[in-house]
Amino acid sequence: MGGPFLLGEAFLLGLASGPACVASCGPVVVPSLLAEGAGWRLNARYLSSFLGTRFLGYLLFAAIAWELGALVSPPPAVRTLMYGGIHVLLGVALLWYAWSIGRGCAHACAGSGLVNIGRVGKHGVSGAAVLGFLTGVSLCPPFVAAGLRAAQLGSIAAALLFFAVFFVATTLWFVPFVGMGCVRRNASVIFVARIAMVLVALYYLLAGIAMLAGRRIYG
Amino acid sequence: MKWPTWKLGYTAAGMTVLAAMLVPFLLMGLFTKGFTKLGLHVDEMYSGGPTVRTIQEDGYTIEVHKAVYPHLLQTEKPFVQLDWKPVNALPQHVSDAVDVDGDGQPDVRVSFDVPKDPKTPLRADVDALNPRYQAMRNVGKRKFSELIVRVDDAILVRVPLTGR
Amino acid sequence: MADAVCTAFPGKTPPRTWSRALLLTLPIALWSLFMSLRGLLQHDRSLRTASGLTAALMVVLFYMMMKTSSTYRWRRWFFVALGVLFPIGFIHNVMVLRGSMGIPIEEMIAGRTPFCFLPIPLLILPAALTKTLVFPGSLLPGGGMSGAGMAAMAGLWLAITLVVGKGWCSYACFFGGIEEGMAALPKKAQWKKLDPRLRLVPWAVLLAMVLLSLALFEPAYCLWLCPFKAVSEYVAARNTVGLVQNGIFVVLFAALVIVLPLLTKKRTQCTFLCPFGAFQSIFNKTSVFDIKIDRTVCSPCVLCQKSCPTMSLTDDSIKKGETLMSCMKCGACVDACPKGAAVWHIRGTQVAVKPERARLMFLYAAWAMAAMFGGSIITQGLATILQRVI
Repeated sequence: MGGPFLLGEAFLLGLASGPACVASCGPVVVPSLLAEGAGWRLNARYLSSFLGTRFLGYLLFAAIAWELGALVSPPPAVRTLMYGGIHVLLGVALLWYAWSIGRGCAHACAGSGLVNIGRVGKHGVSGAAVLGFLTGVSLCPPFVAAGLRAAQLGSIAAALLFFAVFFVATTLWFVPFVGMGCVRRNASVIFVARIAMVLVALYYLLAGIAMLAGRRIYG
Repeated sequence: MKWPTWKLGYTAAGMTVLAAMLVPFLLMGLFTKGFTKLGLHVDEMYSGGPTVRTIQEDGYTIEVHKAVYPHLLQTEKPFVQLDWKPVNALPQHVSDAVDVDGDGQPDVRVSFDVPKDPKTPLRADVDALNPRYQAMRNVGKRKFSELIVRVDDAILVRVPLTGR
Repeated sequence: MADAVCTAFPGKTPPRTWSRALLLTLPIALWSLFMSLRGLLQHDRSLRTASGLTAALMVVLFYMMMKTSSTYRWRRWFFVALGVLFPIGFIHNVMVLRGSMGIPIEEMIAGRTPFCFLPIPLLILPAALTKTLVFPGSLLPGGGMSGAGMAAMAGLWLAITLVVGKGWCSYACFFGGIEEGMAALPKKAQWKKLDPRLRLVPWAVLLAMVLLSLALFEPAYCLWLCPFKAVSEYVAARNTVGLVQNGIFVVLFAALVIVLPLLTKKRTQCTFLCPFGAFQSIFNKTSVFDIKIDRTVCSPCVLCQKSCPTMSLTDDSIKKGETLMSCMKCGACVDACPKGAAVWHIRGTQVAVKPERARLMFLYAAWAMAAMFGGSIITQGLATILQRVI
């Protein structure tokens, strides 16, 4: 299996892909992080929730794709449908998040102090978790690159381990976002963050609908 | 001895007025040169990437560009651009087998008509002789990574890569 | 009467004598003449005439600013002329060169898309991280419509911004004059109550567009939101999404540049959308010149707040004696204040002590930039019209 070398490769691939991950997740992470409360602890909690469910999304997708033998290259039509569907869900989640911030109980309902956008049983579901999961299952280029490599491995366990190490390496690039906790949050900052989330959401919705309708953004 | 702030303020204001006079004679040129020295380049998705090889044909050349890969969330496919020039030396119908990667084997066959009227829309067919390249039928200028267009005295064809 | 007002309110400068106003205008007259020299020496009669008219316009308007000691209404004439004549000259050139306002993909591949200043904030992060300019233009002077190239436009922007800060939006922007002209037409505003939070939307647009431009590696604002494509050029639609993009800018132009300024008498596109304006606001923090409110004289009657075209004065900011960072230094509040409490100011100096000196120094710098940059655009637009007439 080439143990340490393989893990080293996964780590290096993750480090190299990290900036791409940050840039592609940026439109989702930055406005939603700004809309949360101030303080590096709360922002760290947001990032943990976001990255945790992003990790789950990675592993879930990898496991399903492996089983279906589609890790190397899902058929283009399937890939377009998935990509479009996830874009639409991301857009809806962002809009819901932006709306939830305005609700009185948004912060109080979530025990973690993060903005809540839903409930599962007794527990609130934070917006960070939902967004993290959706970005985790979106087929961004770094994810595809890792998938191509992982598909060449002998077993699903090896593939999942490869993804896990890859993920940890990309996560290192997100750590500086904790520093956004130092940005003072007042009504103006939160308003700007909410509107920015709405604009990004509208883009994702339009892009997703265009893909589902079979029309690419630029032809 | 510390200067009073009002003196500093007036000095800065005076320098601003002076800077305004220097804009067309010095500052603008200085900043423009500064920007060009930063080593920036226009995104290759637009420019097509640098030329890596020139293939000599009968009276015209085919320039092969370096493959261009999309950034991050760009929705384009990776592609390679081929330029036929000069247009007035091209036959009425072009059908060339092109060795894109320089290994001595043809990788794609590109076929298109060269209309007399430069405003007539161009259409191309590409047969993939190497599975690395994507075949295309009757392609126009649908997107940056799959197109045939006339730019000045050249006809450009962009062939997408399949990723294999 | 004017002298009595000025004695009671020292911040209010009295009108000057014509000789004194002429003397103060002399430097600008020489500057404008020098800036127009190239045009005045052309063989083309329409260009010569246009250059002369432009120089005359800039000199007359500056003279009136000196004579009357008011800034806003004279500056507005220049700015509206700029906003109206830029599209005339630009669209004419575009139609001559390619017969359409739509940019075909060939022009983008050839690097001949003209570069305007609006995408500058969107290009910074991709350029800083990958040395790539995500705009289909040319860095250096190119053929056709690419004009002087992106480096020259960026150099010009930086130079002018260092001089006037966000005064760019009042003395250089060749788009803002259209809505300023629209806002000037009605006598009274029909909609007076505007949610002050809407002032923050340009910051949200800036944040979203910067992040999307980095993720997508394209100038997201230009492609999706810029309303001024209606008076310059746009990407020729190749598919349904392209049509949607073009529909968006038409709607935004109609709403924010034509209708809402008529209803509110505000520069609504600048106040409620423009991300470049939000970006330029940052440079107000570094600018030497600003506008202050002398709280010892202020009533407050809030006439300054009502007159501000970009809602850059709030009750809180007036109490603090300052404008918000979105202030474009247009001078509307200073001219509207009946007691001379709103004054031009140089950082580090005392508020309302010799404010006219601050105003003069700012106007020399700003008008020099206006004559250099805006003047050349006005000349081009006028020459385009005169070519049909002469």
